[in-house]
Amino acid sequence: MNSKSISGNGVKGRLTLTLKSRETLAAYAFLAPFMVFFSIFVVRAVVEAVRMSFYDWHILRPMRPYIGIDNYVELINDKVWWISLQNTVVFTALTVVGTTIVALAAAVAVTRPIKGQSFFRVLLYMPSLLSVGAVGLIWVWLLNTQFGIINYGLSFLGIRPVNWLGDPGLVIPSLSLTTIWWGFGFPMLIFIAGLQGIPEQLYEAARIDGGSNRDLFLYITLPLLRPTILFVTVTGVISHFQVYGQPFIMTTGGPGRSSYSLIFYLYQIAWTAFRMGYGAAVAVCIAVIMAVMTSVQFIVLSRRIEY
Amino acid sequence: MVKRLTLILTLALLVAMMLVLSMPMSTVAQDAEPTPIVGAFGGGETKISYWNGLTGSDGVTMNEMLAQFADENPEFEVTSEIIPWNTLYAKLQAAFVANQPPDLILMHASEVPQFANFGVLMDLGPWYAGNGGWFDENDISEITYSGMQYQGVTYAIPLDNHGRGLWINTDMFDAAGMDTDPATAPDNYEDWVTLMQAVTLDADGNNAADPEFDSENVVQWGYVVGEWPRVNFLSALAQHGGEMVSEDGQVTVNSDAGIAALQQTVDLVYEHNVSPPPAGFDTWQGFASGSVAIIPTGTWFRNFAVDQTDINGMAWPQVQFGEQPATWFGIHAFMLPASSTPEKAEAVQALLQWISANQATWAGSGQVPALLSVQASLDAVNYPSNILLGQTFTEYGILDYTSTVTQEMYAALDPELDAALNNLKSVEDALNDAAERMQQVLDRAM
Amino acid sequence: MKPERSILPQHTITYVFLTLLGLFVVFPMLIAVSQSFMTNQEVNRWPPQIIPVEPTLQAIHSVLTQQDLRLDLWLRNSLIAATGYTAAVLVLCAPAAFAFARLRFPGNNILFGFLLVTIMIPSQVTLIPNYLLMRDLQWLDTFNALVFPGAANVFGVFLLRQFFIQVPSDLEEAAVLDGAGYFGRFWHVILPLSRNALTALGIFVFLFHYNDLFWPFIVTNSLETRTLPVGLAILNSSYAGQYRPMVLSGAVLSSIPILIVYIIFQRQIIQGITLTGMGGR
Repeated sequence: MNSKSISGNGVKGRLTLTLKSRETLAAYAFLAPFMVFFSIFVVRAVVEAVRMSFYDWHILRPMRPYIGIDNYVELINDKVWWISLQNTVVFTALTVVGTTIVALAAAVAVTRPIKGQSFFRVLLYMPSLLSVGAVGLIWVWLLNTQFGIINYGLSFLGIRPVNWLGDPGLVIPSLSLTTIWWGFGFPMLIFIAGLQGIPEQLYEAARIDGGSNRDLFLYITLPLLRPTILFVTVTGVISHFQVYGQPFIMTTGGPGRSSYSLIFYLYQIAWTAFRMGYGAAVAVCIAVIMAVMTSVQFIVLSRRIEY
Repeated sequence: MVKRLTLILTLALLVAMMLVLSMPMSTVAQDAEPTPIVGAFGGGETKISYWNGLTGSDGVTMNEMLAQFADENPEFEVTSEIIPWNTLYAKLQAAFVANQPPDLILMHASEVPQFANFGVLMDLGPWYAGNGGWFDENDISEITYSGMQYQGVTYAIPLDNHGRGLWINTDMFDAAGMDTDPATAPDNYEDWVTLMQAVTLDADGNNAADPEFDSENVVQWGYVVGEWPRVNFLSALAQHGGEMVSEDGQVTVNSDAGIAALQQTVDLVYEHNVSPPPAGFDTWQGFASGSVAIIPTGTWFRNFAVDQTDINGMAWPQVQFGEQPATWFGIHAFMLPASSTPEKAEAVQALLQWISANQATWAGSGQVPALLSVQASLDAVNYPSNILLGQTFTEYGILDYTSTVTQEMYAALDPELDAALNNLKSVEDALNDAAERMQQVLDRAM
Repeated sequence: MKPERSILPQHTITYVFLTLLGLFVVFPMLIAVSQSFMTNQEVNRWPPQIIPVEPTLQAIHSVLTQQDLRLDLWLRNSLIAATGYTAAVLVLCAPAAFAFARLRFPGNNILFGFLLVTIMIPSQVTLIPNYLLMRDLQWLDTFNALVFPGAANVFGVFLLRQFFIQVPSDLEEAAVLDGAGYFGRFWHVILPLSRNALTALGIFVFLFHYNDLFWPFIVTNSLETRTLPVGLAILNSSYAGQYRPMVLSGAVLSSIPILIVYIIFQRQIIQGITLTGMGGR
């Protein structure tokens, strides 16, 4: 800026400067309301959470001694933390992959020029409008080993009752299935929008070249939807990694601790034991893991797009 | 065009549905008793806010009592807030932090230590007759009185004893040729197993003692270990002479007594085939649908058993697997925040005096009134379960371990019990792991 | 002729697939609706009944008259809180997005990148500090606590910025020639052109807030300030064991208003997604 005002016409230089600074001022004015709230409720809260994680902070106890990294040391040695982490990773992987596939298939189907298009769009989105409480209540009953309607149906096929929520190897997939049922509607909408954005000429040209429907999907739809898939999977990981309501309502973390999720465990620490300091340490670690996972996803998936 | 039509049709359908739903409802509502405004009773000048966790039928009984109180004492207005127990404690902590506690709280005796330790509860000692007050400590059982205290200070006024007992399906007992008289209940593990096997049936009608019995195809279970396993374990632990925490502050759930207690329960599932594994089995529905002969439950089961099922049933005393009888019970007790003003405390005192004088009404909830004189006056036709189970609590009831971190220790114990009962871990491993974590919790609190 | 013939089987497959998926989606909800019309005894019977033998309004009646259940009140609270929140998000995010999209100022990209990174921070990190702040501000149990803490919605800024960037700049230049200042450009040019994007964002934000459970649960204390999901969660944990039909009818009744909102705005929602570039365009 300095060099500019020296080299150029003095008056004009000052004028650009004032214009620029006016624009800067205006920008800050436009940003100000948002930034005030952002600073108070996000920045301050995050800083505060990190600070709390270095204290033995119990909600009603007046004494809150500084204990350094003790909370983090405890966390590394906490078996339940590692179990919860493993469960959460498996759940997130199953749910994100399942949701993406179902949502994409549904979106392709409801963008075909068929009758009842909007009917299906409304119908398929309906579960997403339910609260997690209702979803949990319905599915707990469906998946009940003894009295569940799913096992009742299977019995006619001669299949023995399956212990959906009681088998440690099945409980996470069962919760995942419930979550896919509940949550595929929103990604479906995003895929619909993505599909509508693909120019029809591309398909016509490919058909003239003799491409089959499968070819069209594999060589036109999928590559062009990559940014959409990136968006769906990244937001999917962010939201499903924070799963809490499903285990809380459907299994209370059981059998044993087979369906403890990270946030479920965090809730226990913070709101059953009221150990806010340790809870803050757990929350900070969850945030770091999520940040790392999302970054990796971005790097891997966006490289593919360039290719 | 077609799409628009579908939309309009769907909308119309929904609106029609709502209309259909709302029309008969309003007529039904007119027939029903006029219900008081949202948990607020009376319209007097003196206001009392009151939190409790009495969801379900005992909450209905409580609200009826409050309505009657407000009727007789028009100078009061009681606002009752029902919050489920598991969340009540979280909300309460939050309310204390925010310095907005209610004027009156109904909690369990087991919460007294934690909240008393934080200094947020009021000393109610002066309300007891021994200190010149109105509540007679000689009219409650000794163990009930002890549950009101923490480090020598009395913080609560008891409402009831509620605890563990069994409910049996009498038709199934009759069909198996077993006596339904509670006095004939076995007093050792082997006899209990025999009884449970007699009322466990497979699809061909063979009972679990029969060599032909098909354990893969059970249609009627003798017992269900999945119903609140913790209090069953605590009862059985005491029956074997064990305790959760020893006098010198060591967690002893993995003592010989603890291992024996849990192993016996696990064996009911995998050895004697009289109970399904806990996971995926809805015990209340099991009893209600006629698939369970004996359910370990408690005083609170009465109204469900009577009103919500087609089952002919009755209360029985807790199972006895060890050398001595023991059964877990809890106490609903009233507490006041330490920050209460003298005027508020006086108003609340009037309400509690009234409730204590009318404790007999509380028996309608299924729970056992805390006052022994009221227990003695209950009529045997309407309140058989209250009387039967109430006696067991007074004779051999055990309370939760007294500490500020009991709930947190339970949070470490419950998943391990669940793991053992679902055969994911051996009994020893489960209890050792539980003891280790519980000890950490306890040590932190010291 | 050829395409005519190939279209038919192709659509048959689509219909078969949609029917199967539709059944998978509908069946659980159908069960919920059907059980709302059963008695407490009937839902507990074995084998399970799919259609109530003697339909009854008992459960629906009690969910609407039970003293500790105030669906009407909770619905009102949810609508007020979600509307207030939506308004707050739009008021805060639109100007910020305008600054990021249309104005040049030092640190623009760095600041925007910083905002995006914070999307990854789970809400549980900020939960406890924000709870304590609510206490200090004496906002517990008030609508303020439901509206303001989440109002600085980074996602909203992101979506609106994507859209504002696409608005052709000649329109704005014309406004500048007419003497419009920065606010005039924002208010008279950008906003009117972005009505669809704003509507879409508004609906998303509304729907998400309407179903939010955790935060409202922690910050509301009394019957009068509860929102619908909180009330339903409490209804669930209090009655699910014994009064299934009642809990289910509560869930069914309370999802009707939101379903209507969705049906009305269905097209705008998809349009909004396309416009804001989430669909990858």
